[in-house]
Amino acid sequence: MSLLQISEPGGSPTRRTARKRAAGIDLGTTNSLIATSIGGEVRTLADAGGAHLLPSVVHYGVDGVIGVGAAAKEQAAADPANVIASVKRALGKGFDELTGSGDYRQYRFDPARDTHAPAFLTAAGARDPAEVSADILRALARRAEDRIGEAIEGAVITVPAYFNDAQRQQTRYAASLADIKVLRLLNEPTAAAVAYGLDSKDHGNIIVFDLGGGTFDVSLLSLQKGVFEVLATGGDTALGGDDFDRLVADWLARQCGMEEIAPQDYPTMLRAANRARETLSVATQAELIWGGSRFSLSAAEFAKLAATLVRRTILACRRVLRDAGMETGDIDNVLLVGGATRMPLIRRAVAEYFGRNPLQDIDPDRVVAIGAGIQAEVLAGNQPADDFLLLDVNPLSLGIETMGELVEKIIHRNTAIPVSKSQEFTTYKDGQTAMALHVVQGERELVSECRSLARFSLQGIPPMVAGAAKVKVTFQVDADGLLSVFAEEASTGRKAEVLVKPSFGLDLDQVEKMLKESHDHARSDMAARALREARLEATRLMDAIDGAIGEDAELLEVDEHAAIDRAMDDLRKAMAGESAALIEERTEQLNNVSKDFAARRMNMTVGAALRGESIDAMESQSD
Amino acid sequence: MLSIADNYFSQFELPVGYEIDLDRLNRQFRQLQVIVHPDRYAAAGDEQRLRAIKLSSYLNEAYETLKSPLRRAGYLLRLQGVDVDQVEQSDLDPELLFEQMRLRETLAELPRDESALEQLDDLRRSAGSRLARRREEFAGSLALDNLEQARKLFHELQFLTKFQVEIAKVEDAIFPD
Repeated sequence: MSLLQISEPGGSPTRRTARKRAAGIDLGTTNSLIATSIGGEVRTLADAGGAHLLPSVVHYGVDGVIGVGAAAKEQAAADPANVIASVKRALGKGFDELTGSGDYRQYRFDPARDTHAPAFLTAAGARDPAEVSADILRALARRAEDRIGEAIEGAVITVPAYFNDAQRQQTRYAASLADIKVLRLLNEPTAAAVAYGLDSKDHGNIIVFDLGGGTFDVSLLSLQKGVFEVLATGGDTALGGDDFDRLVADWLARQCGMEEIAPQDYPTMLRAANRARETLSVATQAELIWGGSRFSLSAAEFAKLAATLVRRTILACRRVLRDAGMETGDIDNVLLVGGATRMPLIRRAVAEYFGRNPLQDIDPDRVVAIGAGIQAEVLAGNQPADDFLLLDVNPLSLGIETMGELVEKIIHRNTAIPVSKSQEFTTYKDGQTAMALHVVQGERELVSECRSLARFSLQGIPPMVAGAAKVKVTFQVDADGLLSVFAEEASTGRKAEVLVKPSFGLDLDQVEKMLKESHDHARSDMAARALREARLEATRLMDAIDGAIGEDAELLEVDEHAAIDRAMDDLRKAMAGESAALIEERTEQLNNVSKDFAARRMNMTVGAALRGESIDAMESQSD
Repeated sequence: MLSIADNYFSQFELPVGYEIDLDRLNRQFRQLQVIVHPDRYAAAGDEQRLRAIKLSSYLNEAYETLKSPLRRAGYLLRLQGVDVDQVEQSDLDPELLFEQMRLRETLAELPRDESALEQLDDLRRSAGSRLARRREEFAGSLALDNLEQARKLFHELQFLTKFQVEIAKVEDAIFPD
């Protein structure tokens, strides 16, 4: 029996004399907030004007001034290309994903950037989504410092539960750019449940329905005695209040007889649409003015426009229940989170599906930041952690590419984290000495339909017949949802590993360096292989020619022989060097000058064979 | 301090057996996680945090194995020395195979749109009640030490569970993310 020991909790980590200033940050698609403990209660902080919500909008002015929030939003109509909004949706996405969706049609992108890491081209230069997010985080940290006169020492930053690995990594990276120490990335629905749970001391199964500006999460949690256990989570990273605005904007364009919305009109039109949508949360009719004309949108008509989106949110609820093996009757509470849940049509649809009225006691815009603030207090050791614990799950399946571009899932979605799972793989070719590992995330079976997270390779497998080598691949996900992958060959103990997510004890720079090294490695491996193959090919050709000359020197003309000797010398010199291309070129040359000689030998051989055949034929006839 | 027990059941102070007190499992699991979860060591050194991750992962694995009726069944057979990963044709009843094929055909023939939802729910319910019956039988076989029978039932549980996954996949195909 193995015995592992670990020190008793409630000791050093939670007993501190000096308080640490910790904060919860809700880095939202449309708005962001910061919450911290004031007088023993975690509250969101307002700016000097009393506004708690900081619009997640950044303006890069031609004068070099970076504006964040409402002021930046004001500039959207006048300077659309330099006002970056909804940047959260761009985190961790490639160029094609960004431009393909149409969400970012008013922006220019830096053509010099890799298509996997696009950057907006602004008056302040190229700014990638993490840098824009960092500008928002800095504004929040400044607000906290102004309001409480203390710098933030650590923060819990919330992310949609459905955020994939790349998106989580980018969020962490944004925090490091803003010099904010991340205590934990916390899933937004969990944060909301924390805010409610500690207030009402609720027990039972809770659905958190979180429809924010740009993302939609639905989570099922069970709460017992301060321990929150996420049972299942689902949602859609590309669905939010913005989509409802876009529907209204498109409707308005149709009313005006426009085929397409001009990029410069788009921000203004979206704002008109947003105002109309907000009006419809409290009234049955909203008016929009465009191009001097008035258009009227009724709540009923809006409900018709939005029916498909609303249905998508309910289907996600259905799937989460199914994943947890529950029915709507098993749910004790439904929490509404996110500004978009103020829409009556959403409240109605949720109430109808779950057969109960959802809770909305805490401001749906602030509840996530407050929950994050509470968790930050606990993690910083300011609050006794006695029973308080968040048990989270891995939101998306993690797997590895196998033959036929299929994904073998190693950690399934909704598995409790932290988690460590292993699976054995083997070689598919005789004598295979390396194995390429491609780590992917997603629910689909085909690699091309999942998100690629990392590639690395395990070298130095001893040559064996196909299927004999045993490579154990281990996936480990820590409490933040950060993934590390290890591979080990059984007979030699050769190891390779890649940290897909920055893990504790390893800062981002190191991770980037490791990733870069593994990349460079792969590239230099390829170059080395090309060189080896070129040398092999050249040796093979020279051996063949040497042999042929030994046998059939009489078939060679004198100057032909000299030309072949010169070409062989040139090739030998090239082989001493490191250029595969040069070796290939000289090999080709040698091939050319020896072509006629080879052809003559071939003719002789074929002639001999034919002669042989006719003899055989005669022999068989004489039988 | 957390000691790693001989098997998952004793880890949670539960009797070894198919029928399980899920509430107790859940309580024990939470109590132990409160002790080892990495969040309790947010300010501790890397080594302690690594240990916390390992122990917490181990508890999660143990908990999820016991919580899942199928995985629990497989784990119990494994504890009895039955290798459930090696399936022989003779372990499977031809009638069972035929029936499973028929069920899958029914599923394959459903229309791929929302009109299939009701039938999907029906299929899921009937698979669910079958599962419940087979689980009882499995528990009985195991209690009587009839490992051969228990093994056969385990494979049927696998089929039925897999079928539920297939139903879910069809749903996902109808309503992609």
